[in-house]
Amino acid sequence: MWSALEKMPAPATTYERIVYKNPSEHHYMKVRLEFQDRGVGLNAAQFKQLLISALKDLFGEVDAALPLDILTYEEKTLSAILRICSSGLVKLWSSLTLLGSYKGKKCAFRVIQVSPFLLALSGNSRELVLD
Amino acid sequence: MVRFKHRYLLCEVVSDDPRCRLSLEDRVLGGLIRDTIARVHGTFGAASCSIGFAVRYLNAYTGIVLLRCRKEFYQLVCSALPFITYLENKGHRYPCFLNTLHVGGTIRTCQKFLIRYNRRQLLILLQNCTDEAEREAIQKSVTRSCLLEERSDEEELSDNGGEEEAAEAME
Repeated sequence: MWSALEKMPAPATTYERIVYKNPSEHHYMKVRLEFQDRGVGLNAAQFKQLLISALKDLFGEVDAALPLDILTYEEKTLSAILRICSSGLVKLWSSLTLLGSYKGKKCAFRVIQVSPFLLALSGNSRELVLD
Repeated sequence: MVRFKHRYLLCEVVSDDPRCRLSLEDRVLGGLIRDTIARVHGTFGAASCSIGFAVRYLNAYTGIVLLRCRKEFYQLVCSALPFITYLENKGHRYPCFLNTLHVGGTIRTCQKFLIRYNRRQLLILLQNCTDEAEREAIQKSVTRSCLLEERSDEEELSDNGGEEEAAEAME
C-alpha cells in the first residue's frame, strides 16, 4: 500500500502565494465643510480649488499636484467624498485640519469617515439610530 | 551617540553669463534657496529645512557652493534645487542652474571629492583650451597639483583651490 501511494503522480495544479501588504492604493475620505456664518455656497470647482490651495499652502507645489479626486459633492450640505492615493492621505488630512478661512470667512473641515475601501463609507455606525 | 547629523550638498552654479558667478553672495544664495524651498514644499518644507540650513562655502571663481542641511530633510532640499532658474543681484537677473556634484556626511568628504573633481576638471580644461599661453598655465597647474598629491595626504582646500581659481579665472 505504501508503494502505491509513493507511485502516485504529483498533482497537476501548482500553488502560488500572493501577499498584499496594503490592499488598496487609494484612501477615501468623507468630509464636510462648516462655515462660521450661514449662507456661503461653493460649487464643485471652487471646492476643489480650496482643497488644492490648502495643500499648496502647507506642502508646496509638489504636493498640490497629488492625484486628488472629488467623487461626490453636495452643495447644500457642503459635504464631499474625496479620493487620494494612500501615500498622500496624511498630507491631505493635515492640510485640511490647518485650513482656517475661505475668502476671508472662517471655516473648518470636519472629517466624518476615512477608509481604504469605498464601500465602507456607505454605512457609518456612528450615525446608526437604534430603535 | 546623540548629535545632530547633517548632509553637505556640493553644488556648482552653471550659467551662460560670466557675470553670474562673480555676483554670487552667500546671503543672497541662501535667501534664494529658502524661497525656492518655501515655494516647492510649502510652509512645512520651509520650516523643516531652514533649521540646520547654512551656506558653508562659496567660491565665486569656480561657482562651487557647499550647503548644509539636516539629515532628515536633505531630500527636500535636494529636490528643490532644480527649481532654481535665476540668480538676482542688485536688480540684475541672471539665468542659471545648480548642478549637484556630491552629497556627503561631513565637510571633509566633500573636500576630498572636490579636490579629485578639480583635478579632473583641470585635465578637461587642458584638452579644450585653444590659446598657447593658457595651455602652459594649465599644464603648470596640473603638474603642481600632481606634486602636491605625492607630497602629502592631507591638503588644504585653499592651497589647491588657489591654483584652480587662477586657472579658471584665466579661461
